[in-house]
Amino acid sequence: MFEHEGLLKEFQWVTKESEKKHIGESIAKTSLDMQEISFALIQGDNESVDKLTKENLDKGISANEILDNGLLNGMSIVGVKFRDNIIFVPEVLISARAMKAGMVHLEPILSASGIEPLGTILMGTVKGDLHDIGKNLCIMMLRGAGFTVHDLGVDTSPEDFEDAFGEHEPDIIGMSALLTTTMPNMGRTIQHFEDVGLREEVRLMVGGAPVTQEFADEMGADAYGESAVDAVDRAKEQVALLKDLKS
Amino acid sequence: MNKMTKKQRVLAALNRQPVDRPPVANPTSVATVEMMDLVDAPFPEACRSAELNARLAGTEITEFDFDAIAPYFSIIQESSAIGCEMQWEQKDNWPTVRMNNPIWKNSSDVKVPSNFLDHPDVKVITDSIRILRKEFGNDVPIIGKTMGPWTLAYHVFGVESFLLGTIDNPKETMDSLNKLLEFTYLFGEAQIDAGADVLTVPDHATGDLVSGQYYQKFLQDIHTEMAEKFSVPIILHICGRTVDRMPFIADTGLNAFHFDSKNSPQEAMDAVNNKIALVGNINNPETLYSKDVDDVKKEVFACLDAGVQIIAPECAIPLKTKSENLIAITEGITDWLAENDKND
Repeated sequence: MFEHEGLLKEFQWVTKESEKKHIGESIAKTSLDMQEISFALIQGDNESVDKLTKENLDKGISANEILDNGLLNGMSIVGVKFRDNIIFVPEVLISARAMKAGMVHLEPILSASGIEPLGTILMGTVKGDLHDIGKNLCIMMLRGAGFTVHDLGVDTSPEDFEDAFGEHEPDIIGMSALLTTTMPNMGRTIQHFEDVGLREEVRLMVGGAPVTQEFADEMGADAYGESAVDAVDRAKEQVALLKDLKS
Repeated sequence: MNKMTKKQRVLAALNRQPVDRPPVANPTSVATVEMMDLVDAPFPEACRSAELNARLAGTEITEFDFDAIAPYFSIIQESSAIGCEMQWEQKDNWPTVRMNNPIWKNSSDVKVPSNFLDHPDVKVITDSIRILRKEFGNDVPIIGKTMGPWTLAYHVFGVESFLLGTIDNPKETMDSLNKLLEFTYLFGEAQIDAGADVLTVPDHATGDLVSGQYYQKFLQDIHTEMAEKFSVPIILHICGRTVDRMPFIADTGLNAFHFDSKNSPQEAMDAVNNKIALVGNINNPETLYSKDVDDVKKEVFACLDAGVQIIAPECAIPLKTKSENLIAITEGITDWLAENDKND
């Protein structure tokens, strides 16, 4: 049950029935301590997230529980509020900063635990585009969900994606663009993978503020992530699909 | 109505006055690779040489028969002069600022270089305006462009750092914007002196990044002051979904707002309530870049049916846009006039 009054108020921004059920059930099974972390993250209170994460680890709560029941539950509500235009990028950025403050403590423990990742993803902003906020938010959410993500940074050419594919053998390549002027470079990257015979080896996802499902379809992308939260769901689907295709 | 010159038509439309036919003019850029090849003025050289810049900008009239020329193609000329790290790119990619390596941290760092207006990357635009004025005479309007302080802040502070600052220290954000505004005025006035008839002010408080309340809180007063201080009509450009801030923009006293295809023409017209002219909003990445002439004309019709005063692509067009789709904008206006029997 919801024990934290502030978190319950924040949860009221979640209005889609399926999300109310999914996020609501996920929060209801958590302790007040975890709900406090979720709430602090939504508020963008990085100092509290830092302090609460340390305290809970010291109390013997596992890193996985803090990540799933504290940080990611909070981030799910942030994602919904962002998608529904309740909050905008500055508010998401302060929540992301709070998430980072918690992850500083959790990451060393999680990476030492040897848990198999959900899949491997390469992420880059396409050629000619130097914007990376959206890409970085996606990376944070994907890593939080259990993917291994290699960040190729900004201004990533089709050849850079191809080279990194050879190095990391990812399941998914995620391309981001903020500018309508650079969006066509997503299509050029997809065409490049066709040209070099790698198109069937990897799932290609696109996203970014001006990108739409229609544009993604026209470019020949396999999936379109409408938001950072949506990108995680699409990535899980694409990894499953790739496994089916390869088997 | 008697036939108007291009300049009369554009200025009348910007002032929401009657026109002989709705003008077509992109206040951002219509530079394309096809035109770069045609007049041998490729990027990035056409952004750095006044002669090449003017040659490429002139194609807006000579090849597309648009109603205005906009010679400042990108959004980075001032930032280069300020000292930002640049990536000038090649013919088929836009020059851009490496915002991941910001040059300043806070408002106390903001200083106008003493030779700002003499910097080659600033002078290229003022010199180009002079060349274009001489070549095309006084009947063709020239639209200059000067970056607003919000856009400059992204360039000099970095997007993430600047946006975080709006929450951590809003007063510091206001101080920064007010100091950066000096660049907007200096470069804008220099272009007016060189012969610009109109200025575009891109100030990317976009709907994809910040809320309408942010616009009201940080920028509405700044834009209101701009409307009073500049002696030529001003077109504000903000990308993305902006209908939530259009009523605030409409109250600034600016002449026009250049809007994105994420807002339908009719809802945009309703939002501004005839307090400001609208310029837009043909979709770039899907329609102009990927679709055909009939799709372009459909969007032109939607704009004209709603009463949009100047028909334009929603933003600077993708560099590989086909010429036939740009010509289709003008043709679409002619078709609409014929269909509505207004071509008298």
